[in-house]
Amino acid sequence: MISNREKVFNYAVLTLLAAAVLFPVLWILGVAVSPNTSGTLDLGHLSWSNFTDAWQQADFSQYLKSSLIITGSAVVLSTVLAILSGYAFGVLGVVGERLLFPLMLFGLMIPMEAIIVPLYYDFQSEGLTDTYQGIILAHVGMGVGFGAFWMRAAFRSIPVSIGESAQMDGANSWTSLWRIYLPIAKPAVMTLVLLSFMWTWNDYFLSLILVSDPAHQPLTLGLGAFSGRYMVHVNLLAAAAVIISLPVVILYLFFQRQFLRGMLSGAVKG
Amino acid sequence: MSTVRESRTRGAAAGHTGAAAGRPGRPSGSRTTAPYRRRRRWLGLVYLSPALLIYAFVVLLPAGQGVRLSFVHWDGVTAATNAGFSNYTGFLHDPTLRRAVAHTLFFIAFFSLLPILLGMASAALTARKEVRGAAVYRWVLFLPQVLTPAVAAVVWKRIYAPDGPIDSVLRAVGLGSLARGWLGDYTWALPALGLAGTWAAYGLCMVLFAAGIQNIPSELYDAARMDGAGALREFFTVTLPGLRGQLAVVLTLTMLGAIRVFDIVWLTTKGGPGTSTITPTVVLYQRAFANPDVGAACAIGVVLAVVSLVVSLVVVKISEGDD
Repeated sequence: MISNREKVFNYAVLTLLAAAVLFPVLWILGVAVSPNTSGTLDLGHLSWSNFTDAWQQADFSQYLKSSLIITGSAVVLSTVLAILSGYAFGVLGVVGERLLFPLMLFGLMIPMEAIIVPLYYDFQSEGLTDTYQGIILAHVGMGVGFGAFWMRAAFRSIPVSIGESAQMDGANSWTSLWRIYLPIAKPAVMTLVLLSFMWTWNDYFLSLILVSDPAHQPLTLGLGAFSGRYMVHVNLLAAAAVIISLPVVILYLFFQRQFLRGMLSGAVKG
Repeated sequence: MSTVRESRTRGAAAGHTGAAAGRPGRPSGSRTTAPYRRRRRWLGLVYLSPALLIYAFVVLLPAGQGVRLSFVHWDGVTAATNAGFSNYTGFLHDPTLRRAVAHTLFFIAFFSLLPILLGMASAALTARKEVRGAAVYRWVLFLPQVLTPAVAAVVWKRIYAPDGPIDSVLRAVGLGSLARGWLGDYTWALPALGLAGTWAAYGLCMVLFAAGIQNIPSELYDAARMDGAGALREFFTVTLPGLRGQLAVVLTLTMLGAIRVFDIVWLTTKGGPGTSTITPTVVLYQRAFANPDVGAACAIGVVLAVVSLVVSLVVVKISEGDD
């Protein structure tokens, strides 16, 4: 039991911190709807056309197309590979597992910065830089360690007896995976999809290095280019920033728990 | 989790005897004989192989090449020459790199220590109680985690701009002489970026600690209060010891974040003014692509990887030792 005074104090502290966290976000939202191009707040005259102006001037359709292609393909591929490798590690067992599983975990711990330079030169010699295939491949490769780890845990938490009774009924490993295991592991897959969507959509570093051709760059890089060209139109820049963050923020609004669970238990993997 | 593992071993042990019974629906696998299991493990390798191939191509191969390239001088085009350890000793001699490393320590304070202190304090104040609207607070505090770094950079550039909200407030309260372009200031750019990092990391820390506190038995708190402990004593005798595991996780994550910081720096200051906000990853990027010295860039990458692995292993070891 705690006193009322303590409770009030708790609320006060929390509210203060929440306000501090929210302030920059709200400020940029305000700028995004202000008519003033220098970026000063003017909420008396809302200018919703900023969003459409930013969209047209920044050539967002092209960047959006790239973002959708890259994120869509990377998420689908990563998820399928995560399911297959998680099933292998968690249910079937793998020859050489004692070597292979730590090897995959190594990919979780090694920072992307450590491999990006050689990766760039590899991709260059294979003609993979400035292509959708290249950047998608890079995202999938970097995400596969976490995916395998995540789906392995999900499949391992399913009692073996369930798989065994499926086997008894004549199901082979392929059928068991898609008909028995996957439906049970659906919440984990859902979380994985959300996380890899967020990581791919939000990525800046990988794309910056592997994709220099604007025709294949995602929105995050488009924003960078836009801020270079339209330094003076701060309100349009803010509007563009709002548009880019919207998809993930909306997903986060609806799936808060999956995001939290994924990032927290994903974090615990070390 | 433990129950699953138990049933797993039970199933395997019963495998031989269960074969005789062979009754459908029996939990112990009647066909899990040794040769069968071996065949299954080969099958597992087949399922794993697509992921493994891509992983090898994108992560393992470049990781190996990175180590090899860190021992050569190479401009990315002409033939490479042997460099010995000179790319590594650059850490000691190169003033830019030395500054970058020093900044990393600075960033650890802002990205790791400060968010942990704030996060733990606020989690301790609230998580245990049925705070009304806890979900809303959590949603708000965690929001920076899902925001695109590129967007966060736009946001903070605006906040720190000479005509941004901070300077407006300073002018409004008569402290206009303190107003400045914070990110363009040699002294203030680094702490300004640091605070942006605190803003980004705080929510994750708070939410992780709050989750940890919920796992502390409430009897411990009641007992502490019975013994007449105030809020402070309660924190140090009950909350803090109960949060060791979470502390290890948060420390690893935020420290790695500080060591690797790139996006927000590159998108706001590009390491400047001068080299006043330069970080190892920014140097790596410049060495690799601006005026290519690929070996030097790879050496930075290798050191980052080693430091990251050591940090994770040390923190994991410490947290496991306490269990």
